[in-house]
Amino acid sequence: MSRFPPRPRKVYLQEQKALHGRHLFGVFPAQYPKEILWAMNALPVEIWDPPIEVSHANAHLQPYICSVVRLGLELVLQGHGDILDGFLFPHTCDSIQNLASIVYDYLGLEKRCYFFYHPKAPYRESSRIYYVQELKNLAERLGEQLGPLDLSELKRCVNQGQQIASIVRELYTMRSESKLQASNAEFYSVIRQGEYLHPEDFIPLLEAFLAASRGRAEEGPAVILSGVLPNPTEILSLLDQLGVRVAEDDLLACSRRLLVSYGNASDPYESLAEAYFAMPPCTTKDSPLEERVGYVLEKANRSGAKGVIFTMVKFCEPELFDVPQLVDALKARGLATLVMDTELNQGMSGQMRTRVEAFVEMMT
Amino acid sequence: MSLPRLARYYLMKDVGAPALMGLSKVKKKKRRREPSPYFGPPLRSNGRLREIMTRHYFLSRYAEGAKPVAWVTSGAPVEILRPFDFYTVYPENHGALCGAQKVAPELCAVAEERGYHQDLCSYARIDLGVCFSGQTPVGRLPKPDLLFASNNICQTVVYWYKALSHIWNIPLILFDTPYNFEEIKAIDISYMVRQFEEMIPELERISGKRFVEERFQEIIRLAKDSSFLWGEVLATMKAHPAPMTIFDAFAHMAPIVSLRGLPVALDYYRVLLDELKERADRGIGAIKEERKRLMWDNIAVWYKMRDFSNLFAEHGMNFVTATYTDAWAQTTPYMDEEHPFESMAKTYSLVILNNNLNHRLKLMECLIKAYQVDGLVIHSARSCKPYSVGQYDLKRILMDRLGVPSVIIEADITDSRAYSEEQARTRLDAFFEALAG
Repeated sequence: MSRFPPRPRKVYLQEQKALHGRHLFGVFPAQYPKEILWAMNALPVEIWDPPIEVSHANAHLQPYICSVVRLGLELVLQGHGDILDGFLFPHTCDSIQNLASIVYDYLGLEKRCYFFYHPKAPYRESSRIYYVQELKNLAERLGEQLGPLDLSELKRCVNQGQQIASIVRELYTMRSESKLQASNAEFYSVIRQGEYLHPEDFIPLLEAFLAASRGRAEEGPAVILSGVLPNPTEILSLLDQLGVRVAEDDLLACSRRLLVSYGNASDPYESLAEAYFAMPPCTTKDSPLEERVGYVLEKANRSGAKGVIFTMVKFCEPELFDVPQLVDALKARGLATLVMDTELNQGMSGQMRTRVEAFVEMMT
Repeated sequence: MSLPRLARYYLMKDVGAPALMGLSKVKKKKRRREPSPYFGPPLRSNGRLREIMTRHYFLSRYAEGAKPVAWVTSGAPVEILRPFDFYTVYPENHGALCGAQKVAPELCAVAEERGYHQDLCSYARIDLGVCFSGQTPVGRLPKPDLLFASNNICQTVVYWYKALSHIWNIPLILFDTPYNFEEIKAIDISYMVRQFEEMIPELERISGKRFVEERFQEIIRLAKDSSFLWGEVLATMKAHPAPMTIFDAFAHMAPIVSLRGLPVALDYYRVLLDELKERADRGIGAIKEERKRLMWDNIAVWYKMRDFSNLFAEHGMNFVTATYTDAWAQTTPYMDEEHPFESMAKTYSLVILNNNLNHRLKLMECLIKAYQVDGLVIHSARSCKPYSVGQYDLKRILMDRLGVPSVIIEADITDSRAYSEEQARTRLDAFFEALAG
């Protein structure tokens, strides 16, 4: 049982509208400047793995499209997004790119749709200039619906983003150093509430979690999770049962987006750009493989992890392409690896459980 | 670059390649086929195309160490490489060749054994299979000095080239083309222009040659003329009967993909266009009885080219247009040597796969009307998500708006293990019936 259970998302969103007059935006994975939305009194509600059955989306998508995209479209088609005032599609991969176009061009929804292109291979000056221009372009377009963006408000929200990043970093560091008393399941349950909580609610939650979790972690072997998101979520409880601590992660939905540094620029757009370019190596921005390999190896060194579990979402090309080189590099350092290729919301099969148990046994 | 290797390269170019071409002509003469009851006379240009591509792959073996070698994605602005005299190899074209020669599954399996999942693009798996095993039906591919990719066709090529870059420890230059969710923006164009400016010093360093803008402009002119002719080649299929089929076009597009910006491509398309115009004037069709005219959507199913060609011809159906072949002609009007960087930015970022689905819908409507299309065959290709995601909606909307019947074939571009003959035939039989009715 988590000490900090999530509030029902729907109730929370209704409150946000009723009490704060906030506009709600459904945001597809993964990278986007949430601070701009906050500054316009809008709340980004991320759509990663909604707990729904897929039926309607199959009329639009081939069977070889990943379940993140399939579930996201299903959510739209089933009308669960009716409470939302619009959608934002960051340019994460080919499938999300085309999903954005299906929703915008073909479904005839009476909702505003925004697209955010973040530059790839961000190791050039041109990428930085473009990123800042894209941020301003997004703000301007959102302004047509929400009213103009107040720069001082954006500064304030960038500070909130910094505060979240700072607490999350502390939580990750404590966990890595075995100084966090929290189960794997609880840790991710808390961290992932940031996918829809407003910073005014998320920051106190993180602070309370941090305060309540200081202390020596239980002894046990440590692992790293890599992939898109911790899936199936049951793997976290299983690792808890087996006495295995997730010491670090390289998950797109978690540390790759959260462990960022905003720098000291006085211009809030520059701070946001700094945060994007300071992100850990990530497939969504085409980071070179050697950077990602080095990053994961360093995590393993720092945390003393004995193995890495890749929780792949089936058909996720960006992640699947990196796996062979990561596995080779980790094995060469004597680390155990387990690659699990699963659909979302399918739970933990007996076979999967056996594989995890065998992996833990081998590691210990 | 080494002098002995350069000397060997030119020896092979001037002596070895012509000798090989002579030999292949002799071999070809021995393998004459019986005339088909369904097809018109074959294109005379087929032989010339074979010579050009064989020579290209033959010479590539000797380019390593003699010239800077670049592996390039099919949508990348190769014109920027030509002033530096890169020998360019197109892994996607090579993948298509492996698919057509039905060796893709075994090459894919090499990559799969190294951990590359079977769900990944089969062009990439073939290429990684070649990288690990050195096996290829063309003898040998030269190891590149540079990988040059553009994500205007998909993000997959970047993941794939990143892997190659890591394995071989060679530089990768990415030309990043923001996706046109709506209209292209001024900031997108300036971003792409800056990228050209940034990559020039790197290309100079890798190639050891200085960039000369006038040479770049000449190459753009050549590429523009070739792309224009390629468009004219495709436009001959508006004739009734069409003088070639899309299966011919799938083969004859190789020079515009792989040799763009080189005189050989321009010369070739002049010859091909003359032949096609002559056939159209004389009423010579690619198939003898063209009763229905079809459009193809997506990349070819390379291992089924001959089978599909025969099957459709037997039913008196000819593919007269395709979104795929059109892609190398569609943005020609943006090419302008007077504004080289801006025009290259537009030319390469406004291609079909970097545009929203509404744009694709309008393009397909235009092609259907211009080529008087009766039906549409949609290849849902596991390997190509940007081409395939949205096809179910396109099918429905085209039927609603234009009443064009269509069929979806679930397959893959090169990996025949992802293709079910039974399922495809069932769907095609229903499609044939619908069209006949």
